[in-house]
Amino acid sequence: MLTHPSQIIAWKARILEERPAPKKTAVVSNGICGRASGSLGIIAALNRELDRRGLRDTVGLEVTGCHGFCELEPNIVILPEGIYYGRVKPEDIPSIIETTILKNKVIDRLVYADPKTGRRYALQKDIPFYRKQMRLLTEDNLRIDPDRIEDYILADGYQALAKALFDMTAEEVIREVDAAGLRGRGGAGFPTGKKWQFCRKEIADRRYIICNADEGNPGTYMDRSILVANPHSVIEGMIIGAYAIGAAEGYIYVRMEAPQAVRQVTIARDQARKCGLLGRSILGSEFHFDIQIVEGAGAFVCGEETSLMASIEGRRAVSRQRPPFPAQSGLWGQPTNINNVETWANVPLIVKRGAEWYSLIGTPKSKGTKIFSLVGKIRHGGQVEVPMGIKLREIIYDIGGGIKDGKKFKAVQTGGPAGGFLPAEFLDLAIDYDNLVQAGSTMGSGGMIVVDETTCMVDLARHYMHFTQEESCGKCVPCRVGTRQMHEILVRITRGEGEEEDLARLQELGESIMVASLCGLGQTAPNPVLSTLRHFREEYFEHIRHRKCAAGVCRELLSLPGQDSPRTGRKTNKGQHD
Amino acid sequence: MIKLKIDGREIAAEPGATVLEAAQAYGIYIPNLCAAKGLTSYGGCRLCLIEIKGRRGYVPACCTPVEENLEIITETPQLRELRRLTLELILSEHPHACLICSEKENCEDHKSTIRKVVEPTGCVLCPENGQCRLQEVVEELKVEGVRFPASYRNFEVLREDPFFDRNYNICILCARCVRVCAEVRGASAVTVVFRGPQAIIGTALDRPLLDSGCQLCGACVDVCPTGALTERALKGEGLPDETRSTICPLCSVGCTLEVGLRKGRILNSYPKNGHPVNEGQACVKGRFVLRDVVHSPKRALRPMLRRHGELAEVSWDEALDAVAQGLKAHPEGGTAFVVSSQMTLEDQYVAGRFTRSVLNVEPVLDSPGPSPLLAFRKVLQEEGISSPLNLEVASLSEAGFILVAGADLTRSHPILWVNVLKAIQKGAKLVAWNQGPSPLDRWAALSLRTEPGYEAAVLGYLGRWLLERRPKEQLASIPGYDELKASLELVSPAGGISAAGLTMEEVQSVGTLLDEARPGVLLCGSELLGRPDAGAVRMLWNLAQLVGTKVIPLAAKNNERGIAELWSSEAANGLSVDQVAQGIGKGRFKSLYLTGIFPLLGESRPELLIVQDCYRTANGQLADVILPALTWAETEGTFINVEGRIQKFKRLLDPLGEAKPDWWIFCRLAEKMGRKDFAFQSPMEIAEEISRTVPALREASLPHPKKGRPGFVLEDKKSTTRFLPLGRPGGTARIDSDLAAAEVGLSTLDTYRGLNLCEEIKGLRRLREKSQLRDRKLKG
Repeated sequence: MLTHPSQIIAWKARILEERPAPKKTAVVSNGICGRASGSLGIIAALNRELDRRGLRDTVGLEVTGCHGFCELEPNIVILPEGIYYGRVKPEDIPSIIETTILKNKVIDRLVYADPKTGRRYALQKDIPFYRKQMRLLTEDNLRIDPDRIEDYILADGYQALAKALFDMTAEEVIREVDAAGLRGRGGAGFPTGKKWQFCRKEIADRRYIICNADEGNPGTYMDRSILVANPHSVIEGMIIGAYAIGAAEGYIYVRMEAPQAVRQVTIARDQARKCGLLGRSILGSEFHFDIQIVEGAGAFVCGEETSLMASIEGRRAVSRQRPPFPAQSGLWGQPTNINNVETWANVPLIVKRGAEWYSLIGTPKSKGTKIFSLVGKIRHGGQVEVPMGIKLREIIYDIGGGIKDGKKFKAVQTGGPAGGFLPAEFLDLAIDYDNLVQAGSTMGSGGMIVVDETTCMVDLARHYMHFTQEESCGKCVPCRVGTRQMHEILVRITRGEGEEEDLARLQELGESIMVASLCGLGQTAPNPVLSTLRHFREEYFEHIRHRKCAAGVCRELLSLPGQDSPRTGRKTNKGQHD
Repeated sequence: MIKLKIDGREIAAEPGATVLEAAQAYGIYIPNLCAAKGLTSYGGCRLCLIEIKGRRGYVPACCTPVEENLEIITETPQLRELRRLTLELILSEHPHACLICSEKENCEDHKSTIRKVVEPTGCVLCPENGQCRLQEVVEELKVEGVRFPASYRNFEVLREDPFFDRNYNICILCARCVRVCAEVRGASAVTVVFRGPQAIIGTALDRPLLDSGCQLCGACVDVCPTGALTERALKGEGLPDETRSTICPLCSVGCTLEVGLRKGRILNSYPKNGHPVNEGQACVKGRFVLRDVVHSPKRALRPMLRRHGELAEVSWDEALDAVAQGLKAHPEGGTAFVVSSQMTLEDQYVAGRFTRSVLNVEPVLDSPGPSPLLAFRKVLQEEGISSPLNLEVASLSEAGFILVAGADLTRSHPILWVNVLKAIQKGAKLVAWNQGPSPLDRWAALSLRTEPGYEAAVLGYLGRWLLERRPKEQLASIPGYDELKASLELVSPAGGISAAGLTMEEVQSVGTLLDEARPGVLLCGSELLGRPDAGAVRMLWNLAQLVGTKVIPLAAKNNERGIAELWSSEAANGLSVDQVAQGIGKGRFKSLYLTGIFPLLGESRPELLIVQDCYRTANGQLADVILPALTWAETEGTFINVEGRIQKFKRLLDPLGEAKPDWWIFCRLAEKMGRKDFAFQSPMEIAEEISRTVPALREASLPHPKKGRPGFVLEDKKSTTRFLPLGRPGGTARIDSDLAAAEVGLSTLDTYRGLNLCEEIKGLRRLREKSQLRDRKLKG
């Protein structure tokens, strides 16, 4: 039980003393992707072999949350060298122990090899996927078992909290976060310091803070990975934020479809409570704060702040008109500050290292790093943490390894169903909030989906529209009815029943829905469609005028010159010269 | 007042108003569908989007509070286009064939069957045609086509519940029904279910409304802007060709209702905004049942006389002669006369004069148990106290503390409940004190459940606790303080309270609330006051004096207050109906003259039985003479409601059959019995005599409210502050009673004269059965 800030450093020292220092350690990535790929089997095999060979005293086995290179899961990192083995199978374990752990030799076939050059990189830090990242938030993942708060303490955890509570006033904390230039990582990019200030200055007898871990965008999973790999970073951020804003209660709203995230953040919260880092008189200060964890019930709209708050209150998750904004009237009518998981995770970093240091990273208007879920037709998909200002090209080619299966880059989608598609001409775009918006997309929460020539942009737009249609809360007319009309037009186009006027209809509907909808879901739902209309108009024309889908996706339109379509058995409409 | 500009025009708005309300007050039209007076803002239809100078984007006027110096622009070409597109989106889900039909102009000439279709495919086939708010908006925005393909939801029309149908195929999801049910009525029977394209209005688990806590008040039907919710009364017979106003006679609230008539017959009845007392709300009885009350097949339409063992139709002359002779033949005091508490004030006045001065007996009020109001009054009058009873319904919504004791307001006085709910939403504390569970419990800060008979004990302990909390100096000057203190000291707290089924903490919590939450009001129903328990009445009075609140005994019937005022000057020593029934059995009464409810007479019926009623009741079948009376709808008169408001109503339709007003029958009878001083020609004359002879009812002859302000019962402005001793040895011991007061209360809820509405009207019976079933289940 910690009752004084100085005890944190003392605790760290104690842990270092008490921890055995084995000569070698095998660190297994046991996060969401890891488990899905079989990391539990790896851990079992390791346990078996270590016991069988009597190596428990000299070889350590650590289990962590997420190493980020999801494409190569399950993976093991051998410390202290940092040798990185990917796509490990349980049958590889004996030779890993024999060869690498006992005899210090690298097993080539398990090591990452650059697909273009064939060059091998044995050490994790050298692998191109990692080298160009700036893993301020995620590097610690390699050393933290999310079940153990001690690992977080070892990584200098909760020292920022001690500093904030005892060396800074609440206003100073807000000023620091503001000066750092942190912007909301949930997608809107609102300056976090200002948001905190709005909430703090509302006069009320209580305030709340919320961590939005609903993460509903398809293809994004950075938030839940943070919660699985380093939940304390979020908790520490929330405690600091609550101190700054003046809130005694916080909520973490996690979607129930991420059970591992729910489990890990609950364990972390319970451990923090036990240590006196949550609850009354934190670290012996006069500050009281506790966190409740609430699970979502399966609605994308709960990522929208007013629906989220309704859900916490036990009501139907339906958005409401703003003003009043949550900072003025949120949970149960009280001033409430809502931030995304990644935003909260940045706070301890800023407080510990200072705003000046933080503001050196990134671009003038977008500071710090951003974690992206790089997925799609990319060779090396995973969680990438990069500084703002990095070029799209660097992410996709240097980190992601380019398009897989030898195909060509067609577009990258950012911002999920609220974002847009950027074709090749934007590859040199420097990533920041404003640039992306100007280019016709958004930062979003961090989904980055790469597509190649086998992706039909019209079908993809239709897919996103279908998603938003299903997830619309149904309250306002433009979103509920308008997105359905847009979806139906897109369905017709993908079936070869498109009309010339459809493009104008989509444009008109899309623009109106964006302007007339009640909440962010409706206001951004037409984005994928409008952005594909802007950048990939020829594909629409192809579908409509020539009943052709070059990507080969829209089944009703498959055309092979002069032949029946092998899949539908139907003769095509137009002849073979189209 | 807040100053802002709308379209360049200077507007002054109340603080807290929305831009939409401010615009409407100045006659500036902003299209809207989901906004409704009295409901929270929704912002769902998006038709009312406006521009604010200097701010990006559009905001809905219904959700935007007025601010100083705002500059609002309501009309731009873009806004117009946007509104049209939004409206067309709404119409794409709403059958709009009529809108784009090329025969629109000639439709009137070519229309065939109109309202008998199962589901409307266009305006002309919809029961709401001409009153539909969606139609209005379409006309205002001049929409002539829908650019989107139509989609029809293809739901089954829901007809499983009484009185109204739900056709969600034409619902536009404005959620007004959801909001009115939750915010104004507190029932939350319906909500929006599912989400996105599947979103629709529904009940929990798709149950019928009756299984979802619906009270069939019809507020949703009234607030629905389309034909999605329509009452069956308007289907199949055409629409009303005229509308008249009336005062509902079915409970003591006395709502003003608009009645739709067609060819001189009642079709339907509904409330309107702006009516006093009920302000646009009604309950199941006033909303859906009036038509069957007036046009019941059980109406007694011709005078009847028993000849040779059979009832035969006769003329009025013959019937009245028979009655007069029969009454003269019986000795003085041998006639029991039962007066209906539902007759008009004029009828009751003449009845009272007739009974007392012609028959020389005290009339009996037709409630099976003691009327809470009369019982309350009587006890206090014996002490020389006239308790102030007037209370405007609207003032309930300003209360800080409300005690509802012995009544389920949601069933007995739904409009009072609507106002209590308003108070609760503003932070008032409700204490619900009943013998069994009720819908009030959900809203109550405290629910007290006691065994019947211990009310005086509980009130006694409350009084003692409050007394001890107060500094003695504050109270010692009030007369009666010492006796009260002494008698309360005899109250044994522990024994009485736990025997009653309560804990000390509960009682003390009530006391704290009573003391601290102001202003307070104590509403007492028949469950509490419906038994002869003078101790409870006295303690209620004392409590009211202690904390400075009012006690309002909840009269059940529409003119119970009227009778209380008419009879207050007399001894009011009337017997109860039960005592009369027993007296008949013992042969004390040779003749019985019934104008109201009375238990079924069996073998021991009196020698002479006269039944004067609107209906052919069971007792009527045994009668010697049946005198057909008019319902309130066919005559004019006055009701005095629970507020003390003197409400006048005019005739809705011509008298049916040969029935006559009650006062006319009494007057003709009096003439037949030789009296010349019953020569009234109209209810107006009677009202004038009342205002001359009954001081409290001096305003009874005030003009109709349309022309002047309404009249109220006149009360002593100077109230006597006095404590009453408990007045009986061991003053608060358990009181026995034959009647389970709760059942008494409920059983008289739904009658009009001799008609049991639950027996006659299936929908009402289903509703009451549901409530009773639920209460029994909850009781365990």
